[in-house]
Amino acid sequence: MKNENNNSSLGGVDTLTDIDAALHELLDRPWTCIVWDDPVNLMSYVVFVFKKLFGFSQEKAHELMLLVHNEGRAVVSSGSREEMERHVQSLHEHGLWATLQRDDKI
Amino acid sequence: MSNFERAGDTYSLDLTLDEAHILINLVEQLLELLGEGDFFHHYDAADPFAALMSMQQEVVAPDDPVLMRLLPNAYADPEAANDFRRFTESSIRSTKQRILREVRAHLAILVDDEKAGTVADLEADTWLVALNDLRLALSVRLEINEESFELFESLPDEDPQKSIYAVYYWLGWLQENLLNLL
Repeated sequence: MKNENNNSSLGGVDTLTDIDAALHELLDRPWTCIVWDDPVNLMSYVVFVFKKLFGFSQEKAHELMLLVHNEGRAVVSSGSREEMERHVQSLHEHGLWATLQRDDKI
Repeated sequence: MSNFERAGDTYSLDLTLDEAHILINLVEQLLELLGEGDFFHHYDAADPFAALMSMQQEVVAPDDPVLMRLLPNAYADPEAANDFRRFTESSIRSTKQRILREVRAHLAILVDDEKAGTVADLEADTWLVALNDLRLALSVRLEINEESFELFESLPDEDPQKSIYAVYYWLGWLQENLLNLL
């Protein structure tokens, strides 16, 4: 209950911490793995692959699959270059069309 | 119509002899396209030199559009794409070959006995990936796009393309059938 009084000042600290974490992530983990839409892979198969390779929940995997389908592409993971290369390799082994690139935001 | 069925952790598939033949022929042709010629072929003999020679080629993006779809560039930048290919392509090929060989072994049980039947102890992941690779390969040859199903339905039965489309859509049906059982 005491904390309620300090919420406004703590809010500022949290925001700074968030920005710091976000910056840290951008600088440290500047690579993204992108999956591209194609007219062949079944929606349910893409969901299956996302769940299997990334451990996503059904909901998260389905959401990402729809993003790929509707936008033509979606970032499915971000991290170190080595990590993203491993993801791209696994996605290719499963027949999904995937590439990696530096995060657009850099 | 053939069907996957669940049996504990594994799956079984009922196939007519015709269906088993269609599947094993596609699997063997894809294995060969992926550079593996060292197995008994149910449709044709392989040139043993082809596999030997392909191993000595420099690793570059494949000319064949089917291979390019199965082993796509990982980077937009050609130099980075070729570096990635040099270090990973043989491993991706091996994985695909191992999966296709496993599917082929199951199908051979029916085809070698020349009879319809049930193949059992199938792993879902193996069959899903194999069916997907077969569909990808056919889709390149058929130039599949969003309008292809309408084209397929409008083709007259005597059109030789029609049966290839039919196989393509049958493979999708099989894959969906297995996905629904997971």
